[in-house]
Amino acid sequence: MEAATATASRELTRDTLGAHAAMVWALIARAGNEIVRVPGAAIPGVLAPTIFFLGLTAVFGNLTELSGFPTDEYQSFIIPVSLLQGAGFTGAATGVNLARDIEQGWFDRLLVSPAPRSVLLSGLVLSASLRSLVPAAVLLTIGFALGVDWPGAGGLLLALLLVMGMGTAAACWGVTLALYFKTQGAAPLMQAGMFVLILTTTAYAPLDRLTGWLQDVAEYNPLTQVVDAMRQGFVGEGLAWSETWPGLLVMAGLVALLGAFALRNMRRTSY
Amino acid sequence: MTPAFLRANLNVIGALGARSVKQTFRRPQLLAPILVFPTLLLAIQTGGAGSAVNLPEFPAVNGFLDSMLAGAMIQSTLLAGNSGAIAFAVDIEMGFTDRLFAAPISRFAIVLGRLAGTFVLGIVAAVWFLAIGLIFGASIEGGVGGALLVIGLVALSAAAFGGLGAAIALRAGRASVVQGLFPLVFVILFLSSAFFPANLILEPARSVADYNPLSFIVEGVRDNIVFSPSLEGLAEALGAIALIGAISISLTVLALRHRLRTGG
Amino acid sequence: MPAIEAKSLERTFSDDVVAVAGVDLEVNEGQIYAFLGPNGAGKTTTVRMLTTLLRPTGGSARVAGFDVIDEAADVRRAIGVALQEAALDPLMTGRELIRLQATLHGISRPEGRRRADELLDRVGLTRAADRRVGTYSGGMRRRLDLASALVHEPIVLFLDEPTTGLDPVSRKAIWQEVSKLNDEGTTVFLTTQYLEEADQLADNVGIISAGRIVAEDTPARLKAEVGRPHLEVKIAEDEHALATEVVARFGQPLPSKDGAVLVELARGASEVATVVRALDDAGLCVESLDLVEPTLDDVFVAKTGQHLEGGETETGETEAIPAP
Repeated sequence: MEAATATASRELTRDTLGAHAAMVWALIARAGNEIVRVPGAAIPGVLAPTIFFLGLTAVFGNLTELSGFPTDEYQSFIIPVSLLQGAGFTGAATGVNLARDIEQGWFDRLLVSPAPRSVLLSGLVLSASLRSLVPAAVLLTIGFALGVDWPGAGGLLLALLLVMGMGTAAACWGVTLALYFKTQGAAPLMQAGMFVLILTTTAYAPLDRLTGWLQDVAEYNPLTQVVDAMRQGFVGEGLAWSETWPGLLVMAGLVALLGAFALRNMRRTSY
Repeated sequence: MTPAFLRANLNVIGALGARSVKQTFRRPQLLAPILVFPTLLLAIQTGGAGSAVNLPEFPAVNGFLDSMLAGAMIQSTLLAGNSGAIAFAVDIEMGFTDRLFAAPISRFAIVLGRLAGTFVLGIVAAVWFLAIGLIFGASIEGGVGGALLVIGLVALSAAAFGGLGAAIALRAGRASVVQGLFPLVFVILFLSSAFFPANLILEPARSVADYNPLSFIVEGVRDNIVFSPSLEGLAEALGAIALIGAISISLTVLALRHRLRTGG
Repeated sequence: MPAIEAKSLERTFSDDVVAVAGVDLEVNEGQIYAFLGPNGAGKTTTVRMLTTLLRPTGGSARVAGFDVIDEAADVRRAIGVALQEAALDPLMTGRELIRLQATLHGISRPEGRRRADELLDRVGLTRAADRRVGTYSGGMRRRLDLASALVHEPIVLFLDEPTTGLDPVSRKAIWQEVSKLNDEGTTVFLTTQYLEEADQLADNVGIISAGRIVAEDTPARLKAEVGRPHLEVKIAEDEHALATEVVARFGQPLPSKDGAVLVELARGASEVATVVRALDDAGLCVESLDLVEPTLDDVFVAKTGQHLEGGETETGETEAIPAP
């Protein structure tokens, strides 16, 4: 009886790449339920970056009067920041949702299954990466309507790629914290982390127009490279590889670093 | 309304107020929006937009930070109102408010208790940002008197915003609904002179900011820090607070009646 | 090879709380083993260690032949788990949940669909299968939880308090299902705070208190250990002396209680008819007669000095009489 049952288990279940891909897809689909099945729940998160974009443009728009500002359209200058913020919020929300799932015991169900920890993580962060495109789409639509310069096909593609990268990185950050603190009380830390990282760059003004401590921090903040790379299409003369590769490298590095932390915490859930 | 009745209700207000303050300090997701976020935003915006003092139309100030403190305080009080509303909605969802309604205390005392807590948080926010300002080189032109006026105005506006929050919580009864209003707080802030002098804001936001009661409150607070206290500014600020207070009281009464009548 | 084996299993938490203080147990294949104990005894912590959700801080354990620490992935492939919280996603339908579970176990789509239909039918949820779990009652959620634990035909099934909070009808339904699974060869490890559940279902019962197993055996043997059944004969006060004389022929008389004469039956329940006849022959008028069997609670009291259900500390008389 034992051998027969054991064999049945083994034959039924598979440990292949195809099976893992199916697991990732199933987890992405489940995460999508939050948007699709709870009407209105996603709206604040999707609209928030656009609200900030409009607000910051209206309030600080006259900063373009300062000498040395590369454009006289503040909305074009700030849109990369808002795009990254949208991805940051989405990623942080992934962490908050995971914390909720841990608190309510749903996550145990995933942990007790034979799905490898890396597969579980991939499902979570890839869903964030894809969902980041939603606030980005809303923001770009409104931005273009308000006169943001068209960044060209290359510029747009670069922007969306960096948005997805940011969503992934932010999700890894959120997941790391969720697995460490195991409570939704850590939500402010998840959101604040990304918020601070994105805004302590050349977000509000070019580097030489920043004042005080922020100028020093922005100079060394790796995310400044990402902001500047994205800004090329919207503000500059077009894409130049010399301005683009640092941003791509930083984003890849951020995803790798935060992903490593997230995976480590995923593997240590039983401790 | 006997003295005993008043005393009993004042005790209730004090106890509920103390509870809501303790709740806020014990839960990071309630405290962070009140102190942490506005401080971060203050630091970042001061560094990021600080060059604006060089713009020809920027009002004469000692430093950019000086002019930003008022906005940070008011942002904090708005978020305190939002946090309080979320906590109140959680109380309603969990049935804690029903327990209070069933007790022999005035229904308004229950709401006032929450507002008392928000009032205290307003004081905390004002003191916090005054301290931050002083540490990082700002100066309070209005002196000690000015500082006290700042604290008073900020605390009163906290209570007024808290009242709006309580009305929303009573009507909605669910924390998730109240939480969704968080971005709205920033919309209102952006459409005021909280973050930047009104004369430098782009249209059409500028027109809205000129008439936004929030702008009057911010200017009233700002006067005491950046300039010297002015009676006109103070009157306008108090008027705006009174207006918001009146609206929030009416809405709260309506929402309270609705909840007590329908249980939902 | 035992289906579950634990040796000196320990778990201490970071604040020096010792939840499990050295548990040894062995569950053979095809058995139903019940872990009985009050809240806080360490049941859930033990289950979490055996299902690889928690790392032991001491000792070792093997499930389905695999070590829970070094071969955790293999353990997960072989076990099905239904946890105390019945953690289900309220936004998913019952069918979607089972199919997700199937996917997580690497089961192919067509097979997953087939299994879902089969299991939903088995637990009586076919009609509700395409409704969101958020609309299900407590009993329905537990049945769905059980069904999803079975999707990959596990060798060992872990059930953590499977019927806590359920009404009697739902409870019986779960018991029937568990028995049926066991008849089909699945080893079942369940934790419970209900005596009747352990008594009815289990082949072996382990009684846990304060992180340690204080007794372990079949329900019958455990109860026999703490005493034999006793008879309570309610009879008029003035006839007590004669009644006591009569019953003394059949076993050890016990202190009377509430106007009843008590006797521990030396040869068990089979003596009852004989005792009744003897009392009748003596011309005595019996008002009522009660045969009281020892319960697992009596076992618990004997081992720990506390009651299991209700959690009261023993203060005075109990119904359990220590074996002579």
